Amino acid sequence: MGSRLLARSAAARLLSHLRRRTPDPTHRLLPHGASLASLLGPTGDIPAAADSALLRYPARWSSSSTAAFAEVPMTADGLTVESIAGKGWTILPEAESDWRSHAAAVAQSIKLIKKRLKWGWILERTKQLAVVLEKPDLWDDPVFAGRVSREHGELMGKIKSVNQFEQELIEHIDMLRLAREENDNELEMESMRALADMRRSAKEKELNALLSGDNDSCSCFIEVQAGAGGTESMDWAAMVMNMYRSWAQRWGYTITVVEEMPGEVAGIKRATIKVDGEYAFGYAKAEVGVHRLVRISPFDSGKRRHTSFAAVAVIPILGDASSRYQIKDSDLRIERFRSGGPGGQHANTTESAIRIVHIPTGISATCQNERSQHMNKASAMAVLQSRLDQLEIARQAQMNAEHTQSLNEISWGNQIRSYVLHPYRMVKDLRTNYEVSDPDSVLEGDLDDFILNYLSSSLDEAEVSV
Amino acid sequence: MATLSLSSRPLTFLRPNRTKPPLHRLLRHKPLASSSASALTPPTPRADPSPTPDPDPTPLFLRSASHPVPAAALASFRRRAAALVPPSAPHLHRHLRWLLVDAAADPSSDPALLRAPLDDLEAMWTRHVRERRPFQYVVGNEHWRDLVVAVREGVLIPRPETEAVVDMIRKVEGFADGWWADLGTGSGAIAVAVARELGHEGRVFAVDVSEVAVEVATLNVQRYGVQGKVEIRHGSWFEPLEDVKGKLMGVISNPPYIPTDDLPGLQPEVGWHEPKLALDGGKEGLEHLLHLCEGLSSVLKPGGFFVFETNGNKQSEFLVDLISTKWNSSFHNVEAVLDFAEIKRFVTGYRR
Ligand SMILES: C[S@@+](CC[C@H](N)C(=O)[O-])C[C@H]1O[C@@H](n2cnc3c(N)ncnc32)[C@H](O)[C@@H]1O
Repeated sequence: MGSRLLARSAAARLLSHLRRRTPDPTHRLLPHGASLASLLGPTGDIPAAADSALLRYPARWSSSSTAAFAEVPMTADGLTVESIAGKGWTILPEAESDWRSHAAAVAQSIKLIKKRLKWGWILERTKQLAVVLEKPDLWDDPVFAGRVSREHGELMGKIKSVNQFEQELIEHIDMLRLAREENDNELEMESMRALADMRRSAKEKELNALLSGDNDSCSCFIEVQAGAGGTESMDWAAMVMNMYRSWAQRWGYTITVVEEMPGEVAGIKRATIKVDGEYAFGYAKAEVGVHRLVRISPFDSGKRRHTSFAAVAVIPILGDASSRYQIKDSDLRIERFRSGGPGGQHANTTESAIRIVHIPTGISATCQNERSQHMNKASAMAVLQSRLDQLEIARQAQMNAEHTQSLNEISWGNQIRSYVLHPYRMVKDLRTNYEVSDPDSVLEGDLDDFILNYLSSSLDEAEVSV
Repeated sequence: MATLSLSSRPLTFLRPNRTKPPLHRLLRHKPLASSSASALTPPTPRADPSPTPDPDPTPLFLRSASHPVPAAALASFRRRAAALVPPSAPHLHRHLRWLLVDAAADPSSDPALLRAPLDDLEAMWTRHVRERRPFQYVVGNEHWRDLVVAVREGVLIPRPETEAVVDMIRKVEGFADGWWADLGTGSGAIAVAVARELGHEGRVFAVDVSEVAVEVATLNVQRYGVQGKVEIRHGSWFEPLEDVKGKLMGVISNPPYIPTDDLPGLQPEVGWHEPKLALDGGKEGLEHLLHLCEGLSSVLKPGGFFVFETNGNKQSEFLVDLISTKWNSSFHNVEAVLDFAEIKRFVTGYRR
């Protein structure tokens, strides 16, 4: 872990020695009893090069993964992260120099992070992948092998980073107590500061752990569709779309309109935007579902109250080519705008909408935003590809497709949020009960609190299932 | 059809059209708001449909963004311009959006930096809406395939149907390192798109009889940096190609093919504004196509490919029939190819 403190203190070396001699052989991290030791491989830093070499040569990997032992980091007097978290030490504000409080805060965070990462599942999955990686014929299918070793590498990375964090906590605690014993004021202060720093980075890690899903780091498409109710709902759909555009803008994401079907009088019937940037999908997926608006209708001369609905779907744009759905050209029907007349040199038009239908699945995509048919076709293909990828994700993982369902599948009963402009003003998330009394700022894209609340509640309250 | 004289040469079109350099005439324009005539009432066609040239021949989108305009003034232009167009004309609203995209380097800055004075933009917009001057001439470009092709009055605006030509020839064996001719290159759209896909040895000879076309094609070739692959030659059809006779991998042409009799009935954007030289195919619209068919076998090398765009089913069927009977000994696999509207838009074949 190469910490500054270790390097400058002989005591530190002594300490880590001590720790190494006293592993707890009975320790079980996993609820289902699998020992961490058999899963983790070396706890020390594997140099990056060796790491990837191991992944490339499964045979060598297997020998080292079974040979190595992981230890649960433990202080000289036997404290572990888990036991610290269980002590119920009072957590004081960060400014208070109380190591117990710092340690308890960090330990709580680590617990939360593990929960968000689905720790039990990760360990189990890593174990399974390691078994697969040992198969001698694995590389006969390089695409599959690549996918397995990539996933294994990613999971190992997560495990390693949490383990290092735990180790760091333990070492700082040891160091601090040692400094006290030896009346080394400077070292004590430094350790205290290090613990306080850890609290801050732990909070950051908690947030990052909210976005640790498979496709969370991807860019995405956001689609909004007006519910029944004509102009009223179409206007609402346009407001919702604007909300996402502003939200994405705040994040510095790049936004492209892919498709837009305007309403006859106002608003949109349906629209799709592409949101490009890191973690766009991870955040936006929290918005999937039906959004409800209550207001005095600007379109109703009788000034009555109306309720409108708009449905939101979010589709990840997969970066990894090998996991993408293979589209056959012969399965596509490409429909273009036709002037209807003789065409060619007779006609001048800038209309260039393209619709592509994937015949076997009936899934289609339209693009009319680009100025040439050629480009519209490319954009529509990208949307179609992602829609088919989405199907593929659901099929392959047979996972709960809640976050990636398409607009067609959204049931209008699945209301996630209510926006009330009259008779009182409030936005309330029906899943988390999080609410604010300032709908305007939400409609201007101030959505982060809703999103984070939802992400944390959905992960933190989820059953840990393996 | 059968009565057509197959040896007729398109004499009337051999002389280059002497388009004068665009007049730097300042367009006088009324402010949009004070207009009384309905925006959509087309004016009666002028007796002389020759296009009014733009004061600045440089396409708008290529001019330098050197005209600061306060954001508020730009916004009020946008409102005035939009008010000229009814909601029932969504394409015009789209055009307004694109006009602003092309006219402003960064439309959200204040002041916005425009590529033309606001007054000029007003004038351009009015002409577009009132005189049905094609939007592509207004902004000076057409988005075609993945290219932004510069265009101006005097060259044909490339059509979406023609995009398919590039895909067809790309599939020809030996495409990448072959020599190709694009006859009647106009803006150079086909030549540039082809050149961008060629290999090291590949070349395109882009021929046009129109001086404006030669100028605009040169601009587009330079913009896409393919001057090493495209040679632009000024002249009529095969005449400038004496030195490459028998060496061409393929010939591509979208010649003028509209029957002279049909010209008066054309959509105003086309009939009033696009060059007759690029549209008028003479009697039955076949004069140039027939001339091209005749010269084909002497420029193509054995195994060489050709693709012509035509006016549609009637012309294509006629040409397929003609080539595979009269010149059966020179060509094989001659067929009509559909465009996206399922019209037989192209005739393709191989030299034996
Ligand atoms: C229909 S336009 C095609 C332009 C361009 N290839 C395109 O597809 O957009 C026909 C072109 O043929 C040119 N042309 C007309 N007569 C010609 C001739 N005798 N020799 C060479 N080019 C000619 C016109 O100037 C015009 O640019």
